[in-house]
Amino acid sequence: MTVVLMLMLAVLLIPIYVGARDQDVWQRMLAFCSIATKTSIMILVIAVIRSDWAIGVVGVLILSLGNAALMLLAHILRRLNEL
Amino acid sequence: MNYLNLLLRLLIWFLLTADLSLANIVIGLAVVLVLPNRKGRATLGDWLRVIGNILISIPLAYVEALEMIFFPHSAEEVTLERVRVNRIPALIFLDIFVITFTPKTIVLNYRDDGYYEVHRVKRQ
Amino acid sequence: MKEFISYTLISLGLVFWLWGTLPLLGKRSVLFKLHSLSVSDTLGSMAITVGLLVHFPADWSLLFLALISLAIWNTILGYVLAFCSRGGQKDG
Repeated sequence: MTVVLMLMLAVLLIPIYVGARDQDVWQRMLAFCSIATKTSIMILVIAVIRSDWAIGVVGVLILSLGNAALMLLAHILRRLNEL
Repeated sequence: MNYLNLLLRLLIWFLLTADLSLANIVIGLAVVLVLPNRKGRATLGDWLRVIGNILISIPLAYVEALEMIFFPHSAEEVTLERVRVNRIPALIFLDIFVITFTPKTIVLNYRDDGYYEVHRVKRQ
Repeated sequence: MKEFISYTLISLGLVFWLWGTLPLLGKRSVLFKLHSLSVSDTLGSMAITVGLLVHFPADWSLLFLALISLAIWNTILGYVLAFCSRGGQKDG
């Protein structure tokens, strides 16, 4: 399981790099969306390994609320582009 | 009162809370009855067809993902798909969900004249 | 046997993650990257979660909730991103 987490961390480096590098705002949004999902899945894995219910609940909450926040951000960006 | 709608809401409530104690059942019933109800023209057949589509789309999504991995799909196109007439918003939402869930297709826009704009990737 | 199934599912999910995330580095359109991200972030993460579910069945309600919110929210986020990014490009 530790190996799995290491591999996850390695994959997570890709969207972090893209988010830091890319100038286009939509490519950045894609990278952030990817980071949000990957980190919450990692939180879930850690919670299940440690059998810690509280961390797991936090992971599920981030999974749903983080995405909702990104959706709102996307709508605001679209409005700003229309102005 | 639309019994099917209430049943669906109760199911979601029990999945969310994962608790079958009497107090939780009473709270769930209260929440389900208080939430605003909208009358629609959807029949039982419509709902069953959409639920069937969702169940089919899960293995289909994995098959499409494997196809995309083993055969590179590098061409893109935008097509129009017709919506079935007289759909209530909940069913349109579920249609969009099923189309977007499969990785080769994404709904771009739902137009008021009754078409979805679908973006898909193809093999060259 | 249970271990084998669970590790197979988790490795499948990791392969999906890697395959779907690599196109982010390229110079394709936002929509094309969205297709490969839906492979990695929705389907790959669902495979990983199912693998965990096989391995640790005691936490089924938490993992089941994670599975449902993954499927619904990631799909809808994909639709919203596609819709918004195109609206921006059309006007800009």
